[in-house]
Amino acid sequence: MARKKISYEYSRAGVEQSILASARSARIPEGWAKQIAKRVADGTDRWIEDKDTVTEGDLRRVIVRELKEISPELAFAYSNHDKII
Amino acid sequence: MSDFLNIATVALVVLAQSSLQLNLGGLILLYHASAGKHRRRKTRYLAKSYIWGAMAVNFLAVCSSCFVADRLFSGKLSALWMLATIGVLVACGIVMWTLYYRGGKNTETWMPRSFARYIRKKSRNADDNISAFSLGMLSSFAEMPLSLALYLIAGNAILQTSANIQIILIVAYTLLTALPMFVLKLRMKTGANVIAAQRWRVRNKKFIRFVSGSSFLILGLFIFTFWVL
Repeated sequence: MARKKISYEYSRAGVEQSILASARSARIPEGWAKQIAKRVADGTDRWIEDKDTVTEGDLRRVIVRELKEISPELAFAYSNHDKII
Repeated sequence: MSDFLNIATVALVVLAQSSLQLNLGGLILLYHASAGKHRRRKTRYLAKSYIWGAMAVNFLAVCSSCFVADRLFSGKLSALWMLATIGVLVACGIVMWTLYYRGGKNTETWMPRSFARYIRKKSRNADDNISAFSLGMLSSFAEMPLSLALYLIAGNAILQTSANIQIILIVAYTLLTALPMFVLKLRMKTGANVIAAQRWRVRNKKFIRFVSGSSFLILGLFIFTFWVL
């Protein structure tokens, strides 16, 4: 059975929100989490600006790459949350 | 058969059952999803409901297997049924060693990906105690292919004990199989974060796999020695 392919607009706010959610579960202080989310969102903005279409997997990989430089723990949380079970 | 042997059998079943990872994985998922959007107090309540849900299924399953052993097997499994169950335990032990976890630096289990996605979605949407309770029940049900033989062995052993300790054994069984979840909940309460717990599981995946598989095989050997021979 083929899986449905859903397309949607890239959202900087969405990227920030998903990082903030992971940061809360890692108990990273709110102020620091917002800074991390902003820096990562800046990175994804730069990466995406010359691309027409990207997959969610590509975007996640870029986010994890950016996160690894700032907070390896958060990078682990972000990349592993869908691989727990 | 002395009470001591029956209690030892139940203890080994508890060890094998509590080494299964789906209940714990589901709880970590719930913590992860809930901590991202709720206050800590609410997350604690959801985790408590989840554990109650998982325990309810374990309790009912072991009671049902007592009933089945009593009604269908006249209170005690025959040697032939014991041998069949031992075969299932050995198969489960081998499955635990080889197929239970998927490869890679994660703790993904044997479950079909579509079902794992369904559980992930449920844990993201678990905003009230009822959803968390049903998620706990679901995670216990999902582990049934591996735990069914354990319930049968536990039910059979519990039935052989004297009547006054049967209910104590059932309650102890239910509480002890939930012990890994209680430990996680306690760690969360004392300030640890869920990422550290998941990192520990990933780092010790091989060890957990070895313990799980071995506990199934040891249980099979134990039953063969003391119940069949």
